[in-house]
Amino acid sequence: MHSLINHFRIAGLSVSTGSVRRSFIADGQANGIPMAQLERVAKTIGLRDRMVSTPDVTALDLCEDATRRLLSEMNLDASSIDAIIFVTQTPDHSQPNNASLLHGRLGLSKSTLAFDLAQGCAGWVTGLHQAALLCAHGGAGRVLLCAGDTLSHLTNKNDRAADPLFGDAGSATIVERTGQPNPMHFIFGADGKGASSIIVPAGGARQPASELTRIETADTSGNLHHAENLHLDGAEIFNFSLREIPPAIQSVMQHGGYTVASTDALILHQANKFIVESVALKVGFAKDKAPAGIVEKFGNQSSASIPCALIDALGDALSQKPLKLAGCGFGVGLSWGAFAGEVGPLILAPIQPYPASP
Amino acid sequence: MSDVTEKQFRALQSEVDALAEATLDAPLASLSQWDSLAVLLVISHFEHVHHVYLSGPQVRACLTPRDLIKLAPHVS
Repeated sequence: MHSLINHFRIAGLSVSTGSVRRSFIADGQANGIPMAQLERVAKTIGLRDRMVSTPDVTALDLCEDATRRLLSEMNLDASSIDAIIFVTQTPDHSQPNNASLLHGRLGLSKSTLAFDLAQGCAGWVTGLHQAALLCAHGGAGRVLLCAGDTLSHLTNKNDRAADPLFGDAGSATIVERTGQPNPMHFIFGADGKGASSIIVPAGGARQPASELTRIETADTSGNLHHAENLHLDGAEIFNFSLREIPPAIQSVMQHGGYTVASTDALILHQANKFIVESVALKVGFAKDKAPAGIVEKFGNQSSASIPCALIDALGDALSQKPLKLAGCGFGVGLSWGAFAGEVGPLILAPIQPYPASP
Repeated sequence: MSDVTEKQFRALQSEVDALAEATLDAPLASLSQWDSLAVLLVISHFEHVHHVYLSGPQVRACLTPRDLIKLAPHVS
């Protein structure tokens, strides 16, 4: 689906990460994996450090911290928020949703619209589209978009194919209505036949959590997991990323009249360095225009990875001037959302761990 | 070995470290670095060299590098 929305802007961004730094190399050495093997994977896939949260810290906590810091940085009163969109696949409860819980924590007006979007790695773009619609056509002047997950809580620590990939993070994005056109193009897609490529089989209504769903089994590579863990098929995810994402980016850029030369940067969901570089290369972006190293510092942050990449790689420029950006979130579903438009200048709160170090 | 097969094998070896020291008929299972990362590298190679999107099961079903080369569209 192609969508063009005018009369909105991204006014502010912040990201809070988990507070515990984990090292792929150190963890692997502790598990007796040979250094040469670790370095080979680290170099090729880009697995270095990641920031994870302790079990008591959820995506709601991370997004609340990111929101409070951003509102303070922007000198905004929380009562000015007309709507909260909370994008997550790791909510505090199945009911009520995280948006309502955050609404209560922030003490917002009872006239606020608050809802969750159950989306993962494509979620920030999906949420941005919804926030933009509310601003452009839905009567909202200011929308708080929160996007984040604690996927490290879902991986089995003895699954070397999944556990080293993920970091935890929550983002906050302030989206505002403007009088200027400021067009942004979006392309969305889905391939539900690939749903089993990224899945947590149990814990929902289809297969409720029980003792049986916590029985561990080993795959052919010796990785352990149970039905409440996050399962990944790396080969299928990579195949999907190469097949679907470059055409979506090229299409959204074409709609916006963007070329590789006229685009300041391509910001991709930071799945891992190998995927980001492969997709960017296929679209024709050189490495200096397609940041891929963010994931080496924070891990795969699900729906928080694009805002984190925007701050980490482009923060100085974005705080001063508008940039012509293209980007794409992609993953669980399978689903994807691409965008092309001008972003900035905007107000940023720095990327910080939560809770902050004493 | 045909020239085409040899050329394709050398190209594959240059991008898939697990195959660097292998022969065309070496059992993939015997190679120390034949793992999930090697499967990704094979998929990547076939995508940008042969414009073919291989699935994980397609690659994992191969027993030797020669089987991998046969997945290229113009080699029977």
